[in-house]
Amino acid sequence: MGRKLTFEIFRYTPLDPASTPHMQQYTLEEHPSMTLFIALNQIREMHDATLQFDFCCRAGICGSCGMVINGRPGLACHTQTRDLQDHITLHPLPVFKLLGDLSVDTGTWFRNVGTKIESWIHTNKEFDPEAQEERMDNALANRIFELDRCVECGCCVAACGTARMREDFIGATAINRLARFYIDPRDNRTPADYYDLIGDDNGVFGCMGLLACDNVCPKQIPLQDQLGIMRRMSTLESVRGILPEFLRKKLQGCGHIEA
Amino acid sequence: MTPRSPGDVRNRLDFWQALSGACLALFICVHLVLEGSVVLSPSITNGIGWLLEVTYAAQIAAPLIVLLILFHFWIAARKMPFRAGELQIFVVHSKALREPDTWLWLVQVFTAVIILAGAFFHVYTVMTDMPITVAGSARRLHSGWLLFHAVFLPSIILHTGIGIYRLAVKFGVCRKSSRDRWRRAVWIGMGCYLALGVCALTRVWFIGC
Repeated sequence: MGRKLTFEIFRYTPLDPASTPHMQQYTLEEHPSMTLFIALNQIREMHDATLQFDFCCRAGICGSCGMVINGRPGLACHTQTRDLQDHITLHPLPVFKLLGDLSVDTGTWFRNVGTKIESWIHTNKEFDPEAQEERMDNALANRIFELDRCVECGCCVAACGTARMREDFIGATAINRLARFYIDPRDNRTPADYYDLIGDDNGVFGCMGLLACDNVCPKQIPLQDQLGIMRRMSTLESVRGILPEFLRKKLQGCGHIEA
Repeated sequence: MTPRSPGDVRNRLDFWQALSGACLALFICVHLVLEGSVVLSPSITNGIGWLLEVTYAAQIAAPLIVLLILFHFWIAARKMPFRAGELQIFVVHSKALREPDTWLWLVQVFTAVIILAGAFFHVYTVMTDMPITVAGSARRLHSGWLLFHAVFLPSIILHTGIGIYRLAVKFGVCRKSSRDRWRRAVWIGMGCYLALGVCALTRVWFIGC
């Protein structure tokens, strides 16, 4: 017989005038290999059909089931109940718009920030649908893929002290996204162009190096390393004309990701 | 993308914050070692003080350091949780998250305020009580400044050590693979400086007895 787990879950539906924010308790019996995703579905099936939370892939791929688990953002489908204490507290991710209970709208936030950082390949080449796809060095493709693994779950944003205090901060995920284009040879943008997009306190200079983004990322993307690279690039761009050009270029070269 | 206009002012605050912080960290590291020379022999410290005075290095550097601290604080303060509710949000967030690096930033904020006030009094009392000698320091310690140093010294060391670590993190020098080594090195460094500072204060205290 498994442990008796007590779930304390945040309940509130903003669109329902009768709803007020409160915590609600449920109890379940733990079984082997139980994840929070399974537990939440059991609660919905057996205790309360009105409980709202997002899920899709149940395998850490879609990034839908991000929530605050005992104070730390994480994916419900990635979290085994055996790694938690008997009493489990669940809150929706902060920063994002609350839809109801544990369900938040990360899509609008990511679309806005994606537009802000122009999250697409900038090239002057005309697309030829008949042409063969351009070849890319395998090592470089892997480096780009490493950064492309972000599932936009929003955990890094929810764990970021800066994002909690300043709603305009674009977060580690957006800077990681731009770092992906920075190393992509198909993107024609220069450091000056990237600087224009993120070279302010709402962008890369807003990061205070708190490292929580890096530590909670369910995909273990080295977010702070990317922030460091982009910050160094942006800082060196900001002092163009102050630092001697040879020194600036030498330091700029160091900013690229090591193979 | 909107091209930058020629007259556009670039955001260099982050650069100045990093540069002024690095300069101050270097100053503190050197200053504490020079002060710590009293552990070996008070005459070495007196000699260093004499040299800094006759070359006017102390008279020129002291006000410049205060100005640099003010400049560094002024720039870094744009990130501090001054606005209503910000501090509360951050403290609640840090408690829930249980991330040491998030807490370290709060330590930096609080030590920054202590240093801002303390540095002015420290420089003022030293520069208005020339020449710089161990005997003068001992006299000040016995006239009530021991408590000040008991708070000021750990604050300076914490702020400097955490500042160096976070500077390395922010600019990608301290990477994920080397983060544990950096943390260990910074804590050991801070411990050594604190031990040196405590030894120096103890030595000066007993010289004044």
